Amino acid sequence: MDSVLRAAAIYLVLMILFKVAGRRSLAELTTFDLVLLMVIGEATQQALLGDDFSLTNAVLVIVTLIAIDIGLSLIKQRSRWFSRLLDGGPTVVVEQGRVLHERLKRARLDEDDILEAARSAQGILEIKQIRFAILERNGKISVIPYD
Amino acid sequence: MRESEPDDLHSRDYPVREDMPQQRRIWRFERLGWYALMVLIVLTLAGLFSKGPLSTTEVRSADGQLRVEYQRFLRNGSSDALVIHMRGAAHTPLALEINGELLQGFNVEMLQPQPLKASTAGEGVKLWTLSDDQGRATLHLTLRSDGVGRFDTRVSLANGATVDLSQFIYP
Repeated sequence: MDSVLRAAAIYLVLMILFKVAGRRSLAELTTFDLVLLMVIGEATQQALLGDDFSLTNAVLVIVTLIAIDIGLSLIKQRSRWFSRLLDGGPTVVVEQGRVLHERLKRARLDEDDILEAARSAQGILEIKQIRFAILERNGKISVIPYD
Repeated sequence: MRESEPDDLHSRDYPVREDMPQQRRIWRFERLGWYALMVLIVLTLAGLFSKGPLSTTEVRSADGQLRVEYQRFLRNGSSDALVIHMRGAAHTPLALEINGELLQGFNVEMLQPQPLKASTAGEGVKLWTLSDDQGRATLHLTLRSDGVGRFDTRVSLANGATVDLSQFIYP
């Protein structure tokens, strides 16, 4: 019983924490972010397994985690409201070459982040060459240039 | 260049359909969440989750014969110390009774010094420890938290000195 409860509790806590962290936090994975993720994994592992290192427990925990994940995606598929609640929606941050500063500020981004995405995806160097830049649900920035 | 246009926070329909009120709620949630994390860290430092000023404490019996140092908050699976100071006549075995839920919520991993003898006493245990020249005796227990929730324990000496302690174990 406690395997399921542990896995569900950890799933919930991690989901809330990563929502607080925002979609952008781990989208562009730097070396340090990778290390941080591994440390978070290490810290989680003990709580997930407790002092039961049996094969059965590991399987039960994994089954629970995957089942919750599938369950949530099924609900998201059926309810647009729920999907928006969990994943949010895309946000336009540059419109017709003009930066929407208020949005950038709230999304904890700056122009350099947009330019970085513009350079790496489209070879664009300046904001005014950008028709739209969109902060996607997964935290990546899509850049659409003028034709 | 830094000025914000008034329509910055209005929803757009092109190139993607936005729901700005919802997005602003998400941003607000992120902001509040950040404060909540800070509060949690401060509370942890203060000892709400074991080991800190809020948690480390001691109780004394009215006559001062018995004193117990303990943690008010503990975490399931962690080991913590519980120290019992007793006072009585010099060079005599002092009888100490531990009753209540201590033995249900904790595993006694270590008991120092080893008592002269021990017996069950109702739900709990009774331990005899030899006092020193000044009539003092100290018992160190290392307890591993095993349960979850609140555990009330009563520690008493044969001469009547009694202290009650309440401990909470987090999951």
